Amino acid sequence: MIDFYGEALMRMSAAFATIYLVALGHSLFELSGVLDLSIDGVFFLSTGLAVLFSAQLHTSLTTLGVDPLICTTLASVLTGLVTALIGLFLAFILTVLPISHGAVGLSLMFLGYGLGIYAGYPVRLKYGSIAQFAYPENIVVYSLTLLVSLALGLTTYRMLYSTAIGAMIRACGEDPHAASALGVVVYRTRLIACGLGYFMVGVGGSIFTLLWLRYWDIRSYVLGYGWFAYTIALAAGRHPLILIPFAGVFGALLEFNISIQATYGLPVDLAGMIPFIAAIALMTLYGSTKLKRLFEPPRGLGKIYYKEERTI
Amino acid sequence: MNTGTLRRVVLSINNISKTFPGGITAIEEINLDLYEGEIVALLGENGSGKSTLVKILYGVYTPDSGEIKILTGDKLSRVNFGNPVDAMKHGIILVNQTPQLIDKLSVAENIAITLSTLRSRDHSGFTSISETSKLLKEVSESTGIRVDPNEKAYNLTYSQKQFIELLRAIIVNAKIFLLDEALSYLPIAEKKRFYDILYSLKNSGKTVLLITHKIQEAFDLSDRIVILRKGRIVGVLETKNTTVDEVRRLMFGETNNKYIINNNWSNPEEEHVIEVEDLAVRDDHGREVLSNITFCVGKGEIAGIIGVAGSGQRELVESIVGLRKPIRGKITLAGVDVVRKGIKAVREAGVGYIPDQPLKQGIACDNSIVENIAIMFSSNPILINWDIVKEKAVEIVKNYNVQSKSIDSPVKTLSGGNIMKVIIGKELSYAKQALIACNPTRALDELSANNLVSVLKYKAHAEKLSVLIASEDIDEVLTISDAVYVLNSGRLIGPFQPSKVPRERIEELMVA
Amino acid sequence: MKITILKRKKELKYGAVIASLLSILFGITIYLVIIGLFGVNLVEAINILGKSFISPTIMKDFLIIYVMGCGLLLSFKASLWNIGGEGQFYIAMIPGIVITLLLFNPETSSTTVPAFIVVLLVIITGSVVGAVWAAVAGTLKAFMNIDEVPVTLILNYIAYYLVNHLVSGPLKGKKTYGYLRTDEIPGIYRLNIILPITRTGNQFEEAVYSFLTQVSYYIALLVTAIAISVFTWWLFKYTKLGLYIKIMGSNPEYLYATGVNTKMLTLLIMALSGSIIGLSGSLYLLVEWGRIPYGIQSHTPGYGYLAILASWLSMLDHRLLPVSAYLVAGLRNTGLSIKIAGLGDTEQTLIILGSVLLGYSITRFIADYEVKIR
Ligand SMILES: Nc1ncnc2c1ncn2[C@@H]1O[C@H](COP(=O)(O)OP(=O)(O)OP(=O)(O)O)[C@@H](O)[C@H]1O
Ligand SMILES: [Mg+2]
Repeated sequence: MIDFYGEALMRMSAAFATIYLVALGHSLFELSGVLDLSIDGVFFLSTGLAVLFSAQLHTSLTTLGVDPLICTTLASVLTGLVTALIGLFLAFILTVLPISHGAVGLSLMFLGYGLGIYAGYPVRLKYGSIAQFAYPENIVVYSLTLLVSLALGLTTYRMLYSTAIGAMIRACGEDPHAASALGVVVYRTRLIACGLGYFMVGVGGSIFTLLWLRYWDIRSYVLGYGWFAYTIALAAGRHPLILIPFAGVFGALLEFNISIQATYGLPVDLAGMIPFIAAIALMTLYGSTKLKRLFEPPRGLGKIYYKEERTI
Repeated sequence: MNTGTLRRVVLSINNISKTFPGGITAIEEINLDLYEGEIVALLGENGSGKSTLVKILYGVYTPDSGEIKILTGDKLSRVNFGNPVDAMKHGIILVNQTPQLIDKLSVAENIAITLSTLRSRDHSGFTSISETSKLLKEVSESTGIRVDPNEKAYNLTYSQKQFIELLRAIIVNAKIFLLDEALSYLPIAEKKRFYDILYSLKNSGKTVLLITHKIQEAFDLSDRIVILRKGRIVGVLETKNTTVDEVRRLMFGETNNKYIINNNWSNPEEEHVIEVEDLAVRDDHGREVLSNITFCVGKGEIAGIIGVAGSGQRELVESIVGLRKPIRGKITLAGVDVVRKGIKAVREAGVGYIPDQPLKQGIACDNSIVENIAIMFSSNPILINWDIVKEKAVEIVKNYNVQSKSIDSPVKTLSGGNIMKVIIGKELSYAKQALIACNPTRALDELSANNLVSVLKYKAHAEKLSVLIASEDIDEVLTISDAVYVLNSGRLIGPFQPSKVPRERIEELMVA
Repeated sequence: MKITILKRKKELKYGAVIASLLSILFGITIYLVIIGLFGVNLVEAINILGKSFISPTIMKDFLIIYVMGCGLLLSFKASLWNIGGEGQFYIAMIPGIVITLLLFNPETSSTTVPAFIVVLLVIITGSVVGAVWAAVAGTLKAFMNIDEVPVTLILNYIAYYLVNHLVSGPLKGKKTYGYLRTDEIPGIYRLNIILPITRTGNQFEEAVYSFLTQVSYYIALLVTAIAISVFTWWLFKYTKLGLYIKIMGSNPEYLYATGVNTKMLTLLIMALSGSIIGLSGSLYLLVEWGRIPYGIQSHTPGYGYLAILASWLSMLDHRLLPVSAYLVAGLRNTGLSIKIAGLGDTEQTLIILGSVLLGYSITRFIADYEVKIR
């Protein structure tokens, strides 16, 4: 039997996994020097896609006797693959062409919102609730999700800080010109980082609707959870391990937003502010410590990489 | 071509030209063959196209026309490099004029990148960082250059970064080494070792193309000397059959001996413009790199501080101008209490500053020459009088012989030496009371360096400017200074009068 | 085969214009492909698109996006990424409501202060509040080196919630027919000039007249836009601050080494940027909304983000900003019209903005670069 605390823990681990995966993927993406302003749009798009894929797979595969859990998992993976393609696309054009990372990112954000609605809305209209396509509310599923996201985080950490490919990714983020002189093929390296990064963002987005909220709505795109993950990633210096406590705390904060409000009788809108204020407070806190240097953004983030300029 | 005594061509450059946006033709119809087992020196004044040529060979720039052929197996085949990785895979390695290390990565990580790129070719997979550290230690032992593989690159000085790049070139075991002003600033001992390394590379059949501004170095090392002037090759000489004067004439044309250094030493006045008392300073790591530093520089005096790379010059000048907070001590500069008042007051008092990292603290490369000058020479607090500023810019460009299309060109389109000239020109024109400079002649060609020395002497002795120069170049310090100090392991020794103390004694003090 | 992208040696004649047009066309093609896939009637969509760009209703969006774009451009040029336009815009409306409805409301109190003073007060306090809101991020950036991007971004959401809280609490209106929102600002403080409706029967005359109606209705925005554009031009051409901003954007360390107090400068730039956005927020209140609705996040036209896009699309060149502001405004209008025509829903605005601008920002570079295939 799952008691109250058990359920709370389950929802918290789902919240953690969502925020962690999205922030982790985003971090990997940006560490390679490509500015990721489409994050909120892509996040919303992946919630819509997850709903679409899951509904499709459930209606077509379960009749063949495939376990519903497998269908939902497949939907998550498929979502990740689609977003990974977007990541590859971004990495390619923003490295090869001398164009503004910001403008492309924000445009894609809007496009992501729009396509997300296109993907999710018909399902929502047809079935009303999407809970039937979500992951089962089962402690094993939640624990597995938690473990898998942590494992992904550890692997990413190992890759970034103990292998040459990790050094290459970070080199591209710091100074692509110098990286190239050192022997990095910048666009190839960014393809790897951005593809993998956006895969995780997509999977995180699918977990958001299919595990954590078990609900999808056209208006979700104004919630700004993608931006929220963006902020968390930044606050944690885009570091896979430091991200863990951050994602934990803020996942919990978002999850318990409602209960905090109920317990202390806070007005809805004031309660809504809490996680956001906490995020700023946290950044301010570490900003006054020695950790600051570790948390500096990549120096080349968002800068146009154009080969014929003098490399300084 | 048959075998035997004939040396083979390893790299053949045919009709290469490159014009940059804005219409600057950097190099034009270059034809040059490089043979195995030779050291070729590439000389030319600032802006003559040396860096552009080697960057093309390394795949950084794409040539507009012409072709490059490289020896693969037994015959020369045409190559078309899209990026430096392509060049590296063909056995070419470049050590840049400005070090190209990634600041936030450790030395080992920087090197691991290169190794991994090259190894993935023979499928031995990714290189681990710890493996690279081990390799680095070995090479560092065999070359005698001390490196800490785990040190972050941002903690290294300019010259230390260059050692690392040289080590990298040696580790990857290339066939053709392109060295863009990489040896000029090595400390004496290391330089000797590197000369030996280059000889042994040559003897094992490798090819070295060496860019240098020190003509003597070219004569010491090379078999052939190639001279570039305004983007064209104006001479390919056998080193043993030519003279320094011949080379100078080809490099600079008729203007050859326009500048003569006048060594009219005058006694400095009593009044002190720079006073440093019991100064102690930390580096970026928090280590105390300087302690008990006490000295003063009189009005109209030129003081030189010499020390090997990383002995604290950078931290010293930064704290003197107010960019770095000392742990303790007192600094007075042009009447300003530096520790309390900081850089703003120092600058307002009329102090010029040429930093150790010129591209970081000395200039904004994305902005034009005139904009860089405007922010220092505009007295009105709100508006800029562009007429006056432009006049100033034209004057600086002319006086310091900056080669650029116009004063509105972005600084980043200038050659390394010309960027340095803009910095020097603006800081020297700005300095009314004192000039604090780090390695001011670095990257300058001989003529420009001599010009600078004579301007400095004039400013000091006739216009009573007080000058402090921190440098890693012993010749630079000895020719410029009225008084010389040696900085070693954070302590200052001196002053000496350059004419009274033998050069060997100073070299000894530097490394003791 | 190798593709090389080279900066053009000679500038293309009319390059910027041709490239912009081609890029827009490319963007529109992408858009049509997308909606075509979803079965929207393309002919009708193209028709609406064309009309939306010449419709007088584009005026308001254009002016607001342009003014805000100028404000953002100021900070962007200094590499201070003020993503907080949304928050600064809405928080700046609060003093407007307080001043016109609580302090100087002619309907509830006998105020003798002339209307134009009150309006001036609204505009000034709005600018100040916008500046302060942006300066929060500016302070953290200047004195603690905390990245301004997440801070400004988060301040958007905090502003949304704060405004919502005030609108549903202390500033809650009494004459709102049951809607949750503030009361309407008294008419004497509204800044519109409303021309009477006339029908002449001549299509051309009516079109011109409807254009004039828009101009006079939004005259306050128009005047502000002109003033701000002159100010921006003057700032970057003649002032030291303008030059400081540019150098701050390329090498702040150098600026500091020349003796400029870069911390105060950071604060100043952020505040200036926020004040221009605050100004546009208070004008939007006085000219367009007249009250603040509850649930800002679902009522916002997203000007904060649209203006960011406009200034990025101009490649941070203030001379090109009008063009990109017009483009963004036109697309937003198209989205709305398509929704009105029943061809789709909210997603239309999002998709058309996203796809056209994506296409545009990807291909715009051909103005300055050539592509060589060897
Ligand atoms: N990216 C660029 N864009 C425009 N012009 C450039 C660029 N790089 C170099 N140039 C120009 O090409 C010419 C040659 O430059 P280069 O750097 O090759 O000179 P150099 O011989 O290495 O000089 P130095 O001794 O000063 O390093 C210069 O006039 C320079 O201004
Ligand atoms: Mg050079």
